[in-house]
Amino acid sequence: MTREYVSRCALMLCFALLSANASNWLYLAKLSSVGSIRDEETCERLRGLIQRQVQICKRSVEVMDAVRRGAQLAIDECQYQFRNRRWNCSTLESMPVFGKVVTQGTREAAFVYAISAASVAFAVTRACSSGELEKCGCDHNVHGVSPEGFQWSGCSDNIAYGVAFSQSFVDVRERGKGQSSNRALMNLHNNEAGRKAILSHMRVECKCHGVSGSCEVKTCWKAMPPFRKVGNIIKEKFDGATEVEQRKVGSTKVLVPRNSQFKPHTDEDLVYLDPSPDFCDYDPRTPGMLGTVGRQCNRTSKAIDGCELMCCGRGFQTQEVEVVDRCSCKFHWCCYVKCKQCRKTVEMHTCR
Amino acid sequence: MAGAIIENMSTKKLVIVGVILLLFQAFAFMVGGLIAPSPTAAVHYLATKCVDNVKHRQDSKWFMPWGPNQCDKIRSFDEAMAKHIEANNIVFAVHIPMPYKEMSPWFQFMLVILQFDIAFKMYNQIEDGALVTIDVGLAYRDDTMSEWTEMAHSFEQRKLSCNFTTDKTFDNEGRHYECDLLPFMEVGSVAHKYYLVNIRLPVNERKKVNVGIGEIKDIRLVGIHQNGGFTKVWFAMKTFLTPSIVIIMVWYWRRISMMSRPPVLLEKMILALGISMTFINIPVEWFSIGFNWTWMLLFGDIRQGVFYSMLLSFWIIFCGEHLMDHTERNRISVYWKQVGPIVFGSFCLFIFDMCERGVQLTNPFYSIWASEVGTELAMAFIIVAGICACLYFLFLCFMVFQVFRNISGKRSSLPAMSKARRLHYEGLIFRFKFLMLVTLTCAAMTVIFFIISQVNEGHWHWGEHTVQVNSAFFTGIYGMWNLYVFAIMFLYAPSHKRYGDEQTRDTGASSGEDIQLTTTITHVDGPTEIYKMTGKEAQE
Repeated sequence: MTREYVSRCALMLCFALLSANASNWLYLAKLSSVGSIRDEETCERLRGLIQRQVQICKRSVEVMDAVRRGAQLAIDECQYQFRNRRWNCSTLESMPVFGKVVTQGTREAAFVYAISAASVAFAVTRACSSGELEKCGCDHNVHGVSPEGFQWSGCSDNIAYGVAFSQSFVDVRERGKGQSSNRALMNLHNNEAGRKAILSHMRVECKCHGVSGSCEVKTCWKAMPPFRKVGNIIKEKFDGATEVEQRKVGSTKVLVPRNSQFKPHTDEDLVYLDPSPDFCDYDPRTPGMLGTVGRQCNRTSKAIDGCELMCCGRGFQTQEVEVVDRCSCKFHWCCYVKCKQCRKTVEMHTCR
Repeated sequence: MAGAIIENMSTKKLVIVGVILLLFQAFAFMVGGLIAPSPTAAVHYLATKCVDNVKHRQDSKWFMPWGPNQCDKIRSFDEAMAKHIEANNIVFAVHIPMPYKEMSPWFQFMLVILQFDIAFKMYNQIEDGALVTIDVGLAYRDDTMSEWTEMAHSFEQRKLSCNFTTDKTFDNEGRHYECDLLPFMEVGSVAHKYYLVNIRLPVNERKKVNVGIGEIKDIRLVGIHQNGGFTKVWFAMKTFLTPSIVIIMVWYWRRISMMSRPPVLLEKMILALGISMTFINIPVEWFSIGFNWTWMLLFGDIRQGVFYSMLLSFWIIFCGEHLMDHTERNRISVYWKQVGPIVFGSFCLFIFDMCERGVQLTNPFYSIWASEVGTELAMAFIIVAGICACLYFLFLCFMVFQVFRNISGKRSSLPAMSKARRLHYEGLIFRFKFLMLVTLTCAAMTVIFFIISQVNEGHWHWGEHTVQVNSAFFTGIYGMWNLYVFAIMFLYAPSHKRYGDEQTRDTGASSGEDIQLTTTITHVDGPTEIYKMTGKEAQE
């Protein structure tokens, strides 16, 4: 009883301190100790959710496992896409997950918001397809409320449910603060852009099954792209993101490109408000700003993973390391690899 | 066909008939577009990865992906790696349909597509021409509590045709291959409420089974069935159309048999067209609601095939009988050159269908496309059928061309003819041109709607209403061909009216010619009492 009280107080404190950071729910990915989220009680104990998210959690407890998998997916994909950059999407064991790096309206924050909104839509849709959730797809159909609806006209695509859930769960933080703040506008836009990355890259697949397999009768459906592809798309949008500022058009506030000569951004583009820091040095005042000291770099590359840029001109060390590598492996389609061990020496460059 | 109804009908009546038919046509489209849902539905299933813990497993063990008694699941194969679970102990389980849903006999059929999600790994790539061997079982039950009953079990091979669109480098590891859809299963009736599919991918290195198929991440299935709502609308339509066609058929044949001469080939052909239309119309599918008849799908194909080949033969014979080149035809054997390709082509398609859907009656997982020999055989059948179709259309086009040439030839000599002869030819030309026009319109409509339904998303939003274009296509085109057959039987039935009455007055000018008319054309176009009478009168 007292423990719960204390933890709740801590939770309130957390909200008070970190309410600016809307991607706190990504902390769900780190909650391996909670186990499966099965009952409404657990919702209260989840750190990182705001009150309205807790309400959504209570209303649809069964979806929360998928949300948590989505959070993990977002972090993994972010780390994969940023593996060669100065900021490599490293996470902290405390909240907020990415430290203070994403609390400003930077390009990186735009990416994190987009990928996390997309990952929730993706994970919920997947959970729908594997039969884990009860109220997918069919809820949104005209006839589709009762079992008769399924028998009359089938169900609509699961992606519609996944996206709708992502909209209600991820966007609720920004909606709560009202539409006025420019950060809220930026986050909402980027969340939507992330979901669009899935929606506009759905693959249409068709099967002909008429007389003798002719295309007289053809059934088409939309298949979700693999998440790696979604990550790649959002990364491309990150590279071409537009710097924007808030302006009043009539009574509503909108985001417009800061440089008026640029083309206005579309729904699928990422937008950011503040320029990113250089991420070169460790900054104890900014959690998550780890700097690039000790990072590996590529000596031959001229790009951001090359030693010149990665080490911010501080230079690098070169070591000869003997690595034990696997070679001439035999694979099965799952869970079995038999390899020989090969030793080789490689040059490893690390930033000073 | 002495004076078919169409010739003797006044333009006003003809327009009325046309408008009524058009109204029915519009109604048929609206039934499909507004009442029926889309014809088929596709449901995505992501296979759950179950672990078969028991060393010596019994054959009767089925793995449920969710609900009570669900199997031991793993999320990803990395987890399996850590737990030292082997590939042979992993079972992919899919429950059809989704939780809290039931399948129904109204779905008519169920076909399932298989898709592998395979990640690219530099050292574990898909080999060229890789074959996947799947050990697959299908079970059913009718209430959530009872045991699963096995329906089919089989070892199947499928050819993986995947390509990797980006460079094969370390940087691109983890991207997925793009794989073609694989045919998985086809069941001709959905008699049970719940189905369960268990798939294993056994590995045997010695026999090279399932080696070199890349790193499989997931198995996805897509289940396709006919929508229950569409089935109901379809049945209702068939039940309404059957008596209409039967009644007009009986009426038509009574008219024919009332005549003093035996029916000619064209009249028999029209009757045959009516019979094949009725054959397709009779709603025997009602039985599929009560009985588990898996052959219904195959039977439906056969019925459609019979109708199509009858329609094609009818066009050829109709053209042939209107050639007006003074040759005696009136026998089906004269048309062997044109009808031959139809019969042979549809026979090829029948054999192909028997090889695919016929075998599926015993093994729902069978696919003729899965094996090398089967693919070649199937392609051979389809190509031969295609060649037959081309041959047929060449013949048909040539015949139509001949008819038009003869028509223009006759047209120049029309004014010089006697009244009876002129009326006769004008009747022939009018009948031919009318059918030509109607047929071309129907064919064009079919093609246009087919293209629209292929290109379109399947439904249009029209204000608050959703128009199901695909359903409208099916019901509209089906209704259209029914109306086509109906109209032919009605309009080309022999008429009671005698247009000899007005002719008798001024036939004096044309004498000797009419005798020739009776001898040359009667056989082609039926002996005409009127012409004989007028001829005689004129002679006297």
